[in-house]
Amino acid sequence: MANLTRRSFNIGAASASLAALSAGQAAADDVTIVVNGSGGSLAEAIKRLFEDPFTTATGVKVQATAPVSLPKLKAMVESGNVEWDLTELNGDDVALAAEAGWLEEIDYSIVDPENKLPEIAKLPTALCRASYSTVLAYRTDRFGGTAPKTWADFWDVNAFPGPRSLQNSPKANLEFALIADGVPLDKLYPLDIDRAFAKLDEIKDHVPVWWENGAQHVQLLVDGEVNMTSCWNGRITPLKNEAKPVDISWDGGALMLSYLGIPKGAKHPKEAMLFMKFRIDPAASAEFVKLVPYPGFVPGMMELLEPEFVATLPTAPENAAVQFRFGADWWAANLAPVQDRWNEWLLV
Amino acid sequence: MNLTRPAILLLLLPALLLVGLVFLLPIAGVLSLSVHGEAGFTLEPLRELFGSKVALLVLERTFTLALSVTAICLALGYPAALFMSGLSSRARAWVTYLILLPFWISILIRTYTWIVILGREGIVNRGLAAVGAEPLQILYTDVAVRIGMVQILLPIVILACLASMLDIDRDLVKAARVLGASRWAAFRKVFLPLSLSGVATGGIICFILCLGFYVTPALLGGRRSTIIANLIDIQVHRTLNWGFAAVLASALLVSTLACLGIFRLLTRRRAGFAAAGFGK
Repeated sequence: MANLTRRSFNIGAASASLAALSAGQAAADDVTIVVNGSGGSLAEAIKRLFEDPFTTATGVKVQATAPVSLPKLKAMVESGNVEWDLTELNGDDVALAAEAGWLEEIDYSIVDPENKLPEIAKLPTALCRASYSTVLAYRTDRFGGTAPKTWADFWDVNAFPGPRSLQNSPKANLEFALIADGVPLDKLYPLDIDRAFAKLDEIKDHVPVWWENGAQHVQLLVDGEVNMTSCWNGRITPLKNEAKPVDISWDGGALMLSYLGIPKGAKHPKEAMLFMKFRIDPAASAEFVKLVPYPGFVPGMMELLEPEFVATLPTAPENAAVQFRFGADWWAANLAPVQDRWNEWLLV
Repeated sequence: MNLTRPAILLLLLPALLLVGLVFLLPIAGVLSLSVHGEAGFTLEPLRELFGSKVALLVLERTFTLALSVTAICLALGYPAALFMSGLSSRARAWVTYLILLPFWISILIRTYTWIVILGREGIVNRGLAAVGAEPLQILYTDVAVRIGMVQILLPIVILACLASMLDIDRDLVKAARVLGASRWAAFRKVFLPLSLSGVATGGIICFILCLGFYVTPALLGGRRSTIIANLIDIQVHRTLNWGFAAVLASALLVSTLACLGIFRLLTRRRAGFAAAGFGK
């Protein structure tokens, strides 16, 4: 009997220490966080500059997935099957997701222990990672020496003839229409929706194609399908480097923010926050922004960059001064009815 | 080979399971999503459908597009099938290979190719510029969508027509000629009616495939080329209105089934329809 008891004790102790061992390992070595981003060439830079050093330092592995998708986030959180530990999100998506309760609170004592980040970058459920601009891009070889500079020029089909393109979305387009109609940048919000659509009516028939993604507006411009288009600033820099006849104007551009957030019910929120900390490392971010000119508010990063380069970024003071801050909150509150009106407006 | 009833059921079981689990079950889910709100059963999405100018307009455009593409496919496909039915079987095999060739290339790539051909600096417009004409806006119009869809669907229509033409007993045409009918009268009164089952089969397959097209209108079409599948995509991905997306999907399903029903009624009395066409 005593023998039996001792044996069962031994078994119990062994399995207990085994359990402790595996638990310890799960905390250190065996954790893989799933980070959802935009994919493509961006993903390679993110892996080299952020993910690999993070794995080396913490032992936590990173699996990257793509693309950024609010519907997928919704589906994951609502079904309780949350695959992502961290995902990129646009400003108005963050507002929608936060209101719907799809995001975890962020503990900034982990992400930003020295409290260096400016307040603008710290939302309760999302960390601002990047800033980019939707601006006017044009072919430099189509207008005989002159160039469109403002949204009023974009609307001026006599001075600047030829097809143009805009995004197939009301977001920012309503703002551009109002700017073209003479509304000052600081008086845009709340948007005068009727006035914006009336102005858009003027340009409607000169827009054969409404672009859906970043790759498409680049293709339209390079193929000569359109003479000008709204575009994301980072997509034009590489084209200019390849000596393609394209350029951008910052005038009236929409300064937009992109964020990182943790889906509600994510399996490794703590590791995800540790990774967020790595994503705002100044040295790695400075390398990253040279590849992708979307700076964000990483403290100490700008000091590491050449002044000439900083001047080409959307947040450079002289560029930021002629742009407006995209009203993500206004859009989150008004998207559904405006999107419906947009769909109908496009069809008829 | 005579199979017993249990053996037949057993053989059908894998296919039935597959269809039931990955097709019927999700469809039932979509149908129920379209009448299910947060407070249980609701007809709100249905009201939304009939109150939505966009949805009704898009449904109308979807059906107009499907009808016109089907008509073009039949107009091009029937003569092609007629030509093929007159070839020797060896030559016909080669021509069939040629017709099936495009199936080896993905629809996406074939659609992108049209962008290269029809674009403002594409092959067509460069040809026009060479003779001094203004560039035409073909890409991003309904014309481009129809060209792209016809190219994809034409082989299906040709093969359906051909199958029924090969089933026709050519002696019947000869008999008509012997009895004094002109070539045209023999075709019109004997060959054409007998080949109609293939036309009907090809037409209905083409029409139903058209209703579900997504890629071609999205890539080649302009703002007016949105059809129902694109609108469903907007509801799923942009407005996150999944209830309405489900209603649209259900509306598409119901109207497709209705078309099939009408088609059945119209062809019911045609003896041997089931045996002709794809059956034999």
